[in-house]
Amino acid sequence: MPIDYRRFNGPEDSVSYKQYTKNFLKSYEELCNELIDENEHRKDGRALDEARTMYARTNMISQAKGSSYVELKKTKVVCSVFDPREIPNKNEFSPLGQIYCEVKFAPFSCPRKRRALVPDAEEKDLSLSLKKALEPAVCRYAFPNYQIDVFVYILEHDGACLAGAINAAGLALANAAVPMYDTITACSIAVIEDKLYVDPTEEEEYVANMTPAKEGINHGIITVAMLSTLEQVAGFTQLGSMDGTCVINATEILQKECQNIVPIIHQILVKDVIHNIDLSEKLEKEAKLREAALNENMEEWKKLLSAD
Amino acid sequence: MANLLLSPLEKMYILHGVRDDCRSDGRTNIDYRPMELETDVVSHASGSARLRLANTDILVGVKTEIDLPNNDQPGYGKLEFFVDCSANATPEFEGRGGEQLANSISNMMQKAYQSSDAFDLKQLCIFEGKQCWKLYIDILILECGGNLCDAVSLAVKAALYNTRLPSVKTALLDGGNVDLQLSDDPYDNKLLNVDLAPLLVTLCKIGDKFVVDPSAEEENCSVISLIVGATGNKTNYNIDNKKNESCTDSKCTTIVMNGSGSLAPKTLKNAIKQGIEAVQFLDQALGQALLRERRENVTMKKYSYGFLK
Amino acid sequence: MAEIYKLIHPVKYFNDYLTREVRPDGRKFNEQRNIKLNVKSLKCVEASAVVKCGNTTVVCGIHLKLAAPKPEEPDRGFLVTNVEVPALCSHKYKPGPPSDSAQVTNFLVSDIIANSKCINLKDLCIVPEKLTWVIHCDVVCLDNDGSLVDACIMGIMASFKTLELPKVLYDIETGHIEVDDAARTPLQVHGLPIASSFAIYKLGDRNILLTDPSSYEEDMCGGVGENFIVSSNKDLLSGTHKYGGNKLDTEELERALTIAKERAYCLENVIETCITNSEPTNNE
Repeated sequence: MPIDYRRFNGPEDSVSYKQYTKNFLKSYEELCNELIDENEHRKDGRALDEARTMYARTNMISQAKGSSYVELKKTKVVCSVFDPREIPNKNEFSPLGQIYCEVKFAPFSCPRKRRALVPDAEEKDLSLSLKKALEPAVCRYAFPNYQIDVFVYILEHDGACLAGAINAAGLALANAAVPMYDTITACSIAVIEDKLYVDPTEEEEYVANMTPAKEGINHGIITVAMLSTLEQVAGFTQLGSMDGTCVINATEILQKECQNIVPIIHQILVKDVIHNIDLSEKLEKEAKLREAALNENMEEWKKLLSAD
Repeated sequence: MANLLLSPLEKMYILHGVRDDCRSDGRTNIDYRPMELETDVVSHASGSARLRLANTDILVGVKTEIDLPNNDQPGYGKLEFFVDCSANATPEFEGRGGEQLANSISNMMQKAYQSSDAFDLKQLCIFEGKQCWKLYIDILILECGGNLCDAVSLAVKAALYNTRLPSVKTALLDGGNVDLQLSDDPYDNKLLNVDLAPLLVTLCKIGDKFVVDPSAEEENCSVISLIVGATGNKTNYNIDNKKNESCTDSKCTTIVMNGSGSLAPKTLKNAIKQGIEAVQFLDQALGQALLRERRENVTMKKYSYGFLK
Repeated sequence: MAEIYKLIHPVKYFNDYLTREVRPDGRKFNEQRNIKLNVKSLKCVEASAVVKCGNTTVVCGIHLKLAAPKPEEPDRGFLVTNVEVPALCSHKYKPGPPSDSAQVTNFLVSDIIANSKCINLKDLCIVPEKLTWVIHCDVVCLDNDGSLVDACIMGIMASFKTLELPKVLYDIETGHIEVDDAARTPLQVHGLPIASSFAIYKLGDRNILLTDPSSYEEDMCGGVGENFIVSSNKDLLSGTHKYGGNKLDTEELERALTIAKERAYCLENVIETCITNSEPTNNE
């Protein structure tokens, strides 16, 4: 690993103190049993098929063309979209516009480790998945030879990162007035011991990626991005190990969950439009007042002039 | 392959062919092109394989090293994939052109092998929490003729099947340091259990149907493809050919959509099923080929072709 | 109408406002923007703070690690501050490695924090020559609307004030480490460095000092980012940094220092109030 001279680096052999605490290494069974109580309730009190409530808003970043903020309890995602710009370092004409996506974790976002400041494999992979999911949603013919930059920053990671990033990016693109075919929404599911956890937390995702104690048990994570009105799957990623029927069942659940998010996104966008209309009306009124004041002044000066 | 230009009529020809289940080269929608596979081609690697699928040529070498296990996974070994797109493969790979493709392939492989159902990393453990084997899987793409993912996954599985780890004679813990003694005998080694290692199948959507193993022309006709990775089957690698072992179903280890299009949910579900079936067929064929290679190796009757064939 | 005027005659538009002793956003020359501070808003880190000065938003988070100290300084710990200015915060930054101006901001903030000696590195040492704390203090800018350094310093100091170190037991003979997560002691913070940014605009033959400039004002004043930064620590001046833009005469300099001093009082109050307010909720 080459040394990064552009930033400050701590000592190389530092380790997180958490690995010396008593409950650092837990067996799979312990972790698994912790996730759910006897009434099939998860740690945060949700039922298995219950997604977290989503909070989202637009106009988060003043300097960007469009921006959004999505919060799923502890998962916090910020996204900004900038004006189209010419595709850098390219000679060929591209008839379709490009989308450049970058997903970045804040150094302090993950509870298990400090994220390096240079992009790692997971971030690159998330960026690629985000790009693939957004491409079918955006009318790319509308800006040939140009690219739109979509930047996603994950402030705090508590599961369902990719889903959060896609939701945030969809909202920010709409906020930036980029033409799109449909509202894009996404949701993930974790499979642990043949149980389906909708909208998993970081802890649940961690266990889902772990090796189960017994062989042949389904485990893993699926994320689906949907264009719900058009009934199209825009992005699909699956990881882990599960049989075909499990994948198909989970996809059906996710399809419904994605549909549930659509009204929330629409509501925010409608509010956004109303706010903008109000603002422009207010500005127009102010401008008219100013003009009237100026006209009055003019009349006075005219009088003064004619008096002379 | 972006340089390939097809006229609308040529595209129509391919489209109609796929619709009628008879592709331009005479295959049906679920047929693969002929493949050539040879293991043990690189003498300096612990395991190696070369696979040629039509014009796609891939060489895989496995290197082994002793490493420290991760803190949060003391009983597990490590696996690392590295893809190198040779500039000879296609003109696009010149300079840094192939880097993105190489990254996405190595990422795909890493994801496919992540689950313990696919590859048990416990078999790479030497001394829990202190030492483990780390396998470097170097994938060299010598020629690019489409369908890289499938070819790479086949070649990697073959190379891992061929990999021999030196036997550990003794491992003693001496004041916090591990004292390790490996066997001197080059024939005293351990084979890896890769029966369940996953294979990737790319399903390319052309018209309303999916085809496997698309040629470069066919890839040009489709906007969306689905890569399905599923585990292999133990019975295919049973050297005694006993069928008494229970036949386990293939499990999906990774599914990714590739390309700029989208899919209807129903089509997606059908494609996943089709993909799993294709993996099972492919795995069976690979199993037969690998078993034959191993038999030839044991009886010392193997004739090495290398790159001459 | 005003928007078009701003685009066609950017300088004249700006001058029109300044000759009327007011800035385009309605502030007076020495007026600062509203400040919002929130501590302990991130749950997965040891300490955190979110600062909003007008539109400028920064988030600061602290990670703790353990490491062996440097052989030449066996009784000192490590304090690593990094300011990350990602491409999403402004159109001025492009994706990829940090730009020159981002690096300058990073080095300046780290310098101010290190030189203020607000944290005694000897406090971080657990066992000399064997084990010390490493404080990774990462500041991320989400929205860069000027006066970034002010917000960064404020965020770092607010996080330091809420940071608590877990108890560590180190067995010298075996080298065994055990950390008790529940027993925590607050970190000693000495002093409270504050930075105040200014932009200097030349209007005719008159120099105008703009306190807490926005990104737009910084651009109009020339140079990259803030023109002049004063850092002080509890009534004491600890440094001034002048970057490009117009020159500054002695009279203006003195005015800037007085404003900075007043501003420092105000910001100190904000930080103290915020931390005392956050504590009762913590005890519940």
